[in-house]
Amino acid sequence: MEKKKSKFSSRISGWLIRSVLGMKYEEKWRAKQQAKNGNAEGDEEKKPDDSELIVTPARQIFERFLERKFAVFSVIVVLFMFLVVFIGPLFMPKYSDSYTEVTLKNMPPCMSMTAVPGELKNDIKMIDSYGAFSVGLSNSGKVYVWGSTAVGATGINLADIPQEVKDANIVLVAAGLDHIIAFGDDGRYYGWGSNRFAQYERTETVLANPNLEPVPEIVANGGIDVTQIKKLKCGYQATALLMNDGTLYIWGNKQAYSNMDWFIGKTNIVDIDFTLNYVVGVDTKQASISVGVKGLYNTARTSITGTGEKMMTFMKDKKIVEIAASTQSVCMLMDDGTIAVTGDFLADSVDLPVLAEDEKIVSVESGNYHYTVLTDKGNVYSFGGDHYYQATVPAKMGKAAKVYTGAFQSYAVNEAGDLIGSWGLKGFIFGTDDKGADIFQRVIAGGRITMTVGAVAVIIEILIGVSLGCISGYFGGWVDMLIMRIAEVIGSLPLYPFMLILSSLLAQVSMTTDMRLFMIMVILGVLGWPGFANLTRAQILVARESEYVTAAQAMGVKEGRIAFKHILPNIFSVILVNMTLSFAASMQTETSLSFLGFGVNYPQPSWGNMLSQASNATTAINFPWQWVFTSVILILTTVCINTIGDTLRDVMDPKSSNDK
Amino acid sequence: MGRYVLKRCVYMVVVFVLLTFLLFNLYQLMPANRAYTDAKAEMLGLKNSIKAEERDAKFDELYLKYQRKYGTDTDNTVVLYLRWLGLYPFYDGNCSGIFQGNFGYSYEHNAPVVDVVGPAMRNTAIIGVITELAVLAITIPLGIVCATRKNSKFDKGTQIFSLIGFSTPSFIIYIVFIVFFCSILHWFPVSGMKTPGSNYTGWAAVWDTLYHVILPTICLVFSSLASITRITRASMIDALNLDCIKTARAKGLREKVVVYSHAWRNAMVPMVSILVGGFFGIISGAIIMERMFGFKGMGQLFFNAVITADYDLIMFLEVIYTFLGLFSTLVTDLCYGLVDPRVRISK
Repeated sequence: MEKKKSKFSSRISGWLIRSVLGMKYEEKWRAKQQAKNGNAEGDEEKKPDDSELIVTPARQIFERFLERKFAVFSVIVVLFMFLVVFIGPLFMPKYSDSYTEVTLKNMPPCMSMTAVPGELKNDIKMIDSYGAFSVGLSNSGKVYVWGSTAVGATGINLADIPQEVKDANIVLVAAGLDHIIAFGDDGRYYGWGSNRFAQYERTETVLANPNLEPVPEIVANGGIDVTQIKKLKCGYQATALLMNDGTLYIWGNKQAYSNMDWFIGKTNIVDIDFTLNYVVGVDTKQASISVGVKGLYNTARTSITGTGEKMMTFMKDKKIVEIAASTQSVCMLMDDGTIAVTGDFLADSVDLPVLAEDEKIVSVESGNYHYTVLTDKGNVYSFGGDHYYQATVPAKMGKAAKVYTGAFQSYAVNEAGDLIGSWGLKGFIFGTDDKGADIFQRVIAGGRITMTVGAVAVIIEILIGVSLGCISGYFGGWVDMLIMRIAEVIGSLPLYPFMLILSSLLAQVSMTTDMRLFMIMVILGVLGWPGFANLTRAQILVARESEYVTAAQAMGVKEGRIAFKHILPNIFSVILVNMTLSFAASMQTETSLSFLGFGVNYPQPSWGNMLSQASNATTAINFPWQWVFTSVILILTTVCINTIGDTLRDVMDPKSSNDK
Repeated sequence: MGRYVLKRCVYMVVVFVLLTFLLFNLYQLMPANRAYTDAKAEMLGLKNSIKAEERDAKFDELYLKYQRKYGTDTDNTVVLYLRWLGLYPFYDGNCSGIFQGNFGYSYEHNAPVVDVVGPAMRNTAIIGVITELAVLAITIPLGIVCATRKNSKFDKGTQIFSLIGFSTPSFIIYIVFIVFFCSILHWFPVSGMKTPGSNYTGWAAVWDTLYHVILPTICLVFSSLASITRITRASMIDALNLDCIKTARAKGLREKVVVYSHAWRNAMVPMVSILVGGFFGIISGAIIMERMFGFKGMGQLFFNAVITADYDLIMFLEVIYTFLGLFSTLVTDLCYGLVDPRVRISK
């Protein structure tokens, strides 16, 4: 049994070596195999044979291929692409096809989201952020903005700090999704960025719009005593200003926060923050979270996975000192130095830290999904959503005196105001798409799908085309007639309309996304085989007349064996060339189909459907990174594959060598 | 020759029937029941005038009426197919199918499909013919020059250009052109067939249409340059390597005659199927181009029909496509005979 198996495998490898490299190599390989099997120590010195002088065709092809630098470069590029798209996903464990993040949509390429400016690094008074950019304030009252500062297609850039802000001595800043609010030491307030939802202005149109809450008169007139400000906090398109005496000023887009009205004019507030849809506060009773909506945030728990306890019983002998709110949850800091959470957390969240007995938490800050807490011993812990590693605190960090959080970042600052660590989202090398997903990761995941579809489609084409072509070419007669007519009909049908039809028929059948993907490959393969059939048939017609086939026939070898075993390996080179070119063509067809919405569908990425957003001229011009990178990679890959195919054809063609 | 054409025509009819039968059956799989929808709609109108207990009976009656009207009162697909062709009578005894000139009714456009397809086909044909002529006028001389000056700088430049063009999916070319010409230079409108809100007549209307159609045409021409240049060059190089060219040169013929008469004639043979296919491909329209530019042609019509599941329209378009596909193979084969006398003799 063992022997039979090894014989079988040796036959297969012999065939492969012969067809790829040529007869000579097979003989050498067989001699080696025999030596290995015959005597165990078989390391006798073998004299170099003549094969270096008489070059085999395969070797000649190989050498001539190496002479062409661009072709070699193409091979490297294609191999690199393959490696990246097939191994790359292993390095992005947090990637998910359907991940979306509204606050990060349409972001340009930028890797500076945690890059605190050098001047600010050792002089930090405060840092704040809600979305893609962060704002920092130095002890000398200077404002710095970094990260992705351009707001969508509006032309607003938050890095354009108004001159009056630069001139003023700023004591407080806060950043929203697309606006920044700052207070000078004289009580004047400044705002810049987007003002579409009354983020910072009190104008007639704002006053007339019931959906917008204008900036309170006292704030607008600069009547605020900045020494009495307890907290300045920006939400999505709103801002809250809390005074030490419990007076709350809140303004901005009421539609973003449905319970904003409930908070307007309140004078008994201890702390305030924004979740994605609600304003959350703590009133002077300090016993629960005030939302103005019944049943919201009324349970508390000390672990993300733990079961909740009624707020009333949980708060029996504790008081809430501070709150921090993320998108869907709120973290409460008690007067005994412990924390509790309420609300919903994402599935991959990091759980709350377990502290030593005598360690107490002194402050808690929140990002969009994560929280960062500081203890009285200067230790920093992060927990909550960890998609961008914003809950993974660096191991080596000195004693922190203050922590600040951005939307997806955290910064730790020591007693002297020096930045001692920053972690979380650094940015997106290719930017983000219209749903806030990382284009770079989608390019890798999409490349895997596009390349798989292309490769499997070609394999199906070859399996059908070559075997039918062999049969047709070798047997001739009515079989040939029938197969060629079928090939002709399929080949003459317009490709795209039929693919659209078949794809839309697929949509009627309910199946899993993977099944659908496979069906797309089958459609591409089934409609593409006639080319291979014609090619194989033509080659076989030529080969059939050659001497070695006549010899095989004379020896009484069976017809099928001659077709598949004697002729097929000899036409392998032609099939190889066409396989390469068809691979590129299949990838193009897949991208075009997906672009039209009839191939791979969102959320599964493919290089085609990632480009479909760009068919909108406004998107194409405003967010060029959403199509340029993907297009360039797609074109580079297909150019390289086509180059390989072209070069193979050139070097395999004996005619082209003569005229050189 | 005549016998050959006749034989091919008979074969075409057979394939046509088989293909359309297959497609027709595929459509029967789609979950759409027009008779049911119409019966439901009529029931809604009658709702109050009928007693509750009679409603079911009335609905069944209406459903049967519509089924008979649309000819779907049977599950036999052969009968359904024959009715569609017009070879099998409907319930009322009349045949009304393709042979009677009834190609179906588009529910999306609320008009007979023939009326819907007419203008679209005209638009597509005009832009397609212009494009095809422009493409041939550019690519064939280019391919020939490249082949005769093989490995020159000009040839290499063209080669790189055509390799990139050949490898780029057409929609990326369109995106680049739209961004460049519409968004940056503001030379052309982004999409549409006429200025919105305008009511031009006469020459003004023609100019307006032209203004809207220029960019799509340029895009179409540009996106098909690369592949035809490559093919022309390759077949021309093969042709120039033939022994007959050596003979012609040895005879002392002028190089122009050698290239444009002797070599080109030989190079035509492998190109015939591409040229003929290109002209027939015009009618099926450029789906992606028409989608992106909002061009009202066959491609857009087909795309929308597939999206809205306008079955009669899809079926009619499929008939056109199938017919064109089969007809183009016939024309290709006949053209082979025209171009290459050897083929003619062997027939």
